[in-house]
Amino acid sequence: MKREYSIIGKPTGNVDGAAKTTGEAKYCFDMSLPNQLYGKHLRSPYAHARILSIDTSEAEKLQGVKAIITGKDVPGGKWGLWRRFRELCDQIALADDKVRFIGEPVACVAATTKDIAEQAIELINVEYEPLPGVFDPLEAIKDDAPLVHDDFENNINATRHIEWGNVDEGFAQADYTREDKFTCFPQAVASMEVHNSLASYDKGSKRLTVWSSTQSPYYLQLGLADALKMREGDIRVIKPHVGGGFGGKNSTMPDSTSAALLSMKTGRPVKIVFNREEEFISTEHRTGMHVALKIGLKKDGKIVARECKVITDGGAYTGLGATALYLSGIFQTFPYKIPNYRYDAFRTYTNKVWATSVRGFGATPTVYCAESQLDRAAKDLGIDPLQIRKMNVMEPGYEAPGQYKVDSCGIMPCIEKMEKRIKEKWPKVEENEGIGFSAFAYMSGGIFNWIDTPYAYSGARVQVNIDGTVDLFTQASDIGQGHNTVSVMICAEELGIGMEDIRLHPADTATTPVDLGAWGSRETLMNGNAIKMAAGQIKQKLVDLARAKLGENIAYDLVAKDKRIYLELRPERGFSYYDIVRDAIKLNDGEPLIGTGHYTPHNKGMISPAYGMGIMAIKAKVDKEIGHIEPQGVLIVHDCGQEINPLGARGQVEGSVHMGLGYCLCEDMPNDNGMLLNPSMNDYKIVRQRDMPQIELMDVPTYEAEGPFGAKEAAEATIAPTAPALANAVFAATGAEFDSNVLKPEKVLKAIRAAEAKKAQKK
Amino acid sequence: MKQILQFTVNGEPRELLIDPKKFLVEVLREDLGLTGTHWACDTGACCCCTVIMDGKAVKSCSILAMQANGREVTTIEGLADGPNLHPIQQAFIDNWALQCGFCSSGQIMAAKALLDENPSPTREDIQLQMDGHLCRCTGFNMIQEAILDAAERLKGQK
Amino acid sequence: MKTIVNGFEYFSPKTLEEALKMLSQYDSEEKEFKVIAGGQSLNLMMKQGILMPECLVSIKGLSELDYLNYDAKEGLKIGALTTHRAIETSDEIQKNFKVLVEMEHNVSSTETRNYGTLAGNFCHGDPGGDPAPVLVALNAIIKMASVKGERTVPAEEFTLDYYETVLGHDELLTEIQIPVIPPNTGVYYTKYSQILGDFALASAAVSITLDDKKEKCTDVRIVLGSVGSTAMRAKKAEEILKGKKITDELLVQAGQAASEESDPTDSVEASEEYKRELVGVLVKRVGKEALERAKKA
Repeated sequence: MKREYSIIGKPTGNVDGAAKTTGEAKYCFDMSLPNQLYGKHLRSPYAHARILSIDTSEAEKLQGVKAIITGKDVPGGKWGLWRRFRELCDQIALADDKVRFIGEPVACVAATTKDIAEQAIELINVEYEPLPGVFDPLEAIKDDAPLVHDDFENNINATRHIEWGNVDEGFAQADYTREDKFTCFPQAVASMEVHNSLASYDKGSKRLTVWSSTQSPYYLQLGLADALKMREGDIRVIKPHVGGGFGGKNSTMPDSTSAALLSMKTGRPVKIVFNREEEFISTEHRTGMHVALKIGLKKDGKIVARECKVITDGGAYTGLGATALYLSGIFQTFPYKIPNYRYDAFRTYTNKVWATSVRGFGATPTVYCAESQLDRAAKDLGIDPLQIRKMNVMEPGYEAPGQYKVDSCGIMPCIEKMEKRIKEKWPKVEENEGIGFSAFAYMSGGIFNWIDTPYAYSGARVQVNIDGTVDLFTQASDIGQGHNTVSVMICAEELGIGMEDIRLHPADTATTPVDLGAWGSRETLMNGNAIKMAAGQIKQKLVDLARAKLGENIAYDLVAKDKRIYLELRPERGFSYYDIVRDAIKLNDGEPLIGTGHYTPHNKGMISPAYGMGIMAIKAKVDKEIGHIEPQGVLIVHDCGQEINPLGARGQVEGSVHMGLGYCLCEDMPNDNGMLLNPSMNDYKIVRQRDMPQIELMDVPTYEAEGPFGAKEAAEATIAPTAPALANAVFAATGAEFDSNVLKPEKVLKAIRAAEAKKAQKK
Repeated sequence: MKQILQFTVNGEPRELLIDPKKFLVEVLREDLGLTGTHWACDTGACCCCTVIMDGKAVKSCSILAMQANGREVTTIEGLADGPNLHPIQQAFIDNWALQCGFCSSGQIMAAKALLDENPSPTREDIQLQMDGHLCRCTGFNMIQEAILDAAERLKGQK
Repeated sequence: MKTIVNGFEYFSPKTLEEALKMLSQYDSEEKEFKVIAGGQSLNLMMKQGILMPECLVSIKGLSELDYLNYDAKEGLKIGALTTHRAIETSDEIQKNFKVLVEMEHNVSSTETRNYGTLAGNFCHGDPGGDPAPVLVALNAIIKMASVKGERTVPAEEFTLDYYETVLGHDELLTEIQIPVIPPNTGVYYTKYSQILGDFALASAAVSITLDDKKEKCTDVRIVLGSVGSTAMRAKKAEEILKGKKITDELLVQAGQAASEESDPTDSVEASEEYKRELVGVLVKRVGKEALERAKKA
């Protein structure tokens, strides 16, 4: 059935565009309150040390210092996102007995000016007893390694085993097997807006309000409740506009906890803004890992078995790293049918800032490894890279036993479209050029409830006013991905009204129904469903009233469209939406016209209700003397179900590819005994526009029955294939094989030479 | 010791008593409440804080406020014509040239300076001139398209 | 975000004379002062607490030093307050000293180039700076002034070490003079960084002068950046080319010689070995382009 929509699927500008282009949009960064104090953290210079004493007396004497807090002032216990597993709730507001990474906060000052706060932390005297640290996961698991957390033997924070089929039998059937080892380095989040929070404690009601650059107000509310030993309901979290999150703003961080504690102590509002260096050294990043991968194939290219062993570099705390561990085992199998699969992984604690969810989390590192290996196998077997993928991709209804089921699935048509387009676009390659491919798939929100909440995964409330204007309330978090626009589009489509009729009230825990926030591409499907359901309740009331007024037989369908409610087959018979709204409220004694909606997935397996997927190709040129890789163009075919906003989806794809190129080429976090060596935007290299290729995006529309209007994940998936597609392009051009990401020129040069030596040896 | 700073901001003359160690961005945001100018990197590497001073795009985080003494400064708040958006602003919205929007003020002010200087830029001109602007969301291509579109809109206005 | 923590007094003299007097006075009073022009590097160093001056003398307002004068005999004179951007967008420079425009395109950002000055950048003495190799290759002369008078030094002798120059504490760099490029001469500059416009892993500027038949090389200057404590001449490499008909093979040899002469250090971005190798490739490539230009000149 062809679906005709008025708003869905039409390229639509950002609903926050005017505010964001005029400087009127307020980020937490821009906010201040009268009588506000400024907070500043004193941070540990040691990667691992016992705190023997903290003397704040000199700092307290400084004029303008209003309060100083240390670990002893934190009333609550530890917290974390894995609340179902209390032992993994390991985060603390301020280091108590010991520090576990360089940059960990040990004290926080509130002062009348930023300068005084800066001067005050210099006057705090901390006595440390340095302890030996561990910085690599392979060292961390050794029996004699120092323990980051005393209760975790061998520094093992979490383990995962995934298995289906019979792997040993699978490999026994294989005509060809190969094993590769990789190291995937971490990637910084580097959102443009640093972490910052403004807290205000109300002395009368004993309630707390926190504005924060969070990507999940609800998680922050829970984290603060745990840290401060308060009731969730007494903490109000408001997310203003947020300058990027990418997964790095899910955890409750010291900007929030310290601002809250200091506000409670001083009775004045307290603002804490991290500087860029603090952002680099003390906030979360993408997980680094060691990966060992074995694949078995038949001669014709059919995959018969895969085995994967992963050990991740978790850093000092858990964050969402334990989730990343699980997903790393899942998404590397996508979008392929792997009949026999085994994954064993563990996450280690190390004395570094911790790793968590970052854009495409659980997919980006292991997909890099798996897709690189697949191309090497294809080359050895003499099979074309697209052909080997066609041999193995999933079809609709594919199920991985006990793990996931894939309903809408357009991967094969995506590859077919790619085959056709690539012949037109890049009919041949010159010397030192190559085209590389990678397939991809990603979730539309996760079906995991480690946060342990009885609330629905997403909620929304729609209130229709007497004049037909709509107030839409949802805690869904727009952090730049454009969900505010998607929310309004979905609500408007469902009610058959215009986007201008809707005022959105996003992300305030005191006024909006709970939503688990922006991670794992969950908002479009999950929150979209909640909004559609809430708007649908209102629509039903309006349609029922219209039907009664028309006196029609119940078999006749009415629709809400173009600001009217009318008989689908006789459009002239109907009413204005505005008239029906007024009547509906009047006839019900003025009862407010409110619809509520929620969404929680059921019977969709362990991972996600639906999966976006597709294939990417990158053409690249390699300077063989210098080792420089120049990405020349990117071609993507994406199945994201029904696109809600094609303009926004394209924006997300562009951004994902940009971040993926950085992951592949230049974004690196080298450390020396736990000290990050490049904690600035000058030294942490991000791809700039002259190095950014053009991207051509094509769509293979499917209909995802579980999603609002057939929608599912869009564009987060496209970060993961970027690095392997580019590395595979270099492989195609030069034969160079890489055992890690971050393809800085020196590494490229070495790999090219190794490939040339190997070739010469063969001859 | 505080010193007097006299300059024009968005067409209005301003006289302030400031600590000379303050950067222009601090004075704009904290003394004048013009928080539309953002600030992201601390090391002059991102151009997020770009404003226009005497017709040129400059980084307000890398210029002392006192260096703006006697100068004319335009910030993002000074771009729209009353309630009407400037064509560059509209082009940024229509081309989805912003996502989180945090760097947009700087991008738009740089685009304004660019188009004032060169009303018909090529994509390469834009890439070269806007190269200092970091954006973690957009991947830049749609920003370039917005600027090309804005150039057309501005020509249409004349 | 980071701000400057320690306060200072800020002065902005109106004339060069006033400025020089001020410097002389503060120098004799042993005051901790710094001269600021565009301040694109200085401000960052103050923010990081590397420099904590008691007072700042801003010369940005000295319009008498903001000029670009070109004369077909005398060459180019660049006032100390001329911005990078003024150089980048000058038609006269594009016509007569194209290499300067090419160099400027990759100096940081337009915003930096709009406010920062070429002279200020050069005075900063950063071995990774772009202007130094090009100014040395172009045989530039640096003019300085103090209350005691004026003096000049060749650009090659201006920078002494990391962030250290011959400029006296009471002195100002007032003008950069670039002689007319001799006939049959080609000059080119390239730096390599993985991200365009970034600080160089290594850079090379080469100036080649050919004889009237455009066969043999009569003069050559090869200058390396980012691979030592200052921009450095690769004199052994120059010797390989001088007096010869330059071939690809000879350029490879010159590259190898330059590679040996260079003195890079390990960094987060690349090892010393890689940078050495890069120098060799850059000298070969830049030399080839300079040669082509000399042939067309």
